[in-house]
Amino acid sequence: MMGCYDFCAHYEWTFDWLEKEGGHALLRDYWRDAISLDSQRHARDLIQREGFAGMAKYWGHTLAEESPDLGFSITRTQETFRIDIHDCPSKGFLLRNGLASCPDYCDHCLGWIGPMMRDAGFAIDHEHNHLGQCWWEMHPADTAGGFNAPGSVAGTKDVRLLPQWQPPGTKLDRYQKATDPDDKLPAT
Amino acid sequence: MPPSVPRELPYTDTKPVGAADFYYGINATFRFMLQRLGPAAWQRYLGELGRGYFAPVNRRWREAGLGAVARYWREFFAAEPGSDVEVVEEADRVEVRIHTCPAIKHLRAGGREIVREYCQHCFYLGTARAEAAGLTMRLHGGNGSCRHIFARPEAGLPPQDMQQIKEATS
Repeated sequence: MMGCYDFCAHYEWTFDWLEKEGGHALLRDYWRDAISLDSQRHARDLIQREGFAGMAKYWGHTLAEESPDLGFSITRTQETFRIDIHDCPSKGFLLRNGLASCPDYCDHCLGWIGPMMRDAGFAIDHEHNHLGQCWWEMHPADTAGGFNAPGSVAGTKDVRLLPQWQPPGTKLDRYQKATDPDDKLPAT
Repeated sequence: MPPSVPRELPYTDTKPVGAADFYYGINATFRFMLQRLGPAAWQRYLGELGRGYFAPVNRRWREAGLGAVARYWREFFAAEPGSDVEVVEEADRVEVRIHTCPAIKHLRAGGREIVREYCQHCFYLGTARAEAAGLTMRLHGGNGSCRHIFARPEAGLPPQDMQQIKEATS
């Protein structure tokens, strides 16, 4: 039986299997069709119906269940819903167990959240450091977006203020007003 | 909660049980593969997952025998929320009696359309894992409760009758 306890590990293994089976296009379709439109349809329904309030309900529940140590922070302003992940329960599982089947596991979040936000009328600013830390800002799609200065929205909870955010050699993946996992900005 | 620190699970988490909503992801993954790639590719995926991802467990089963198989399944289901399972070890086999399948239970509670082949995944995956460990695997029942048997070849289990595996219903 495939279990939920080690889900993140066989989920990552499955990304690699799908990419070998049908290339990047099949993996993108999987994130959109299986995860965004099917598995996470409860999140879609909430966010399409309630916007930021739906995001607060969804991520408040999900992150508390997956990360009982509360390695995350949620900040809400009039035009921004922000999540700072200090200790990702999903990537953290892989790092702690030495698992790396897939070149960039973290891309799967944009892979399913991106289409969900697009369909609900939002766009995403985002960075992840491949070390279990990332931040997300969801804005209405018709607003400017762009990276806010560290601390300006989430204060001291901003993950970019942590000393381990960008140790030497870290590659940050960055997205601006994005809804597609392939919208990654060129590395700087 | 697990009775103690898991020793037979290859990968461990900081929390004692998994998040049940991940069963939605497993069900959706099966639906995607069955619709997009077809049943043969889905069965091949499960076989490769069983031989690849589960290789550390298979090696352990091969080296440590049926005792390790029994301990594995006890630890496995202790970390799956909502399960009601009994693991019985006999001289030539281990029977995993799943009175309440945690996945089917949660998918139903969440109002999800369960792929009708869902219960077959335990057979295709379990067979690949058992064969890699020098064992045979059979499955009876499904759709919420079932019985898995992992046996030594000398147990002489009859071939799997696929009619013995029930279709899952929502």
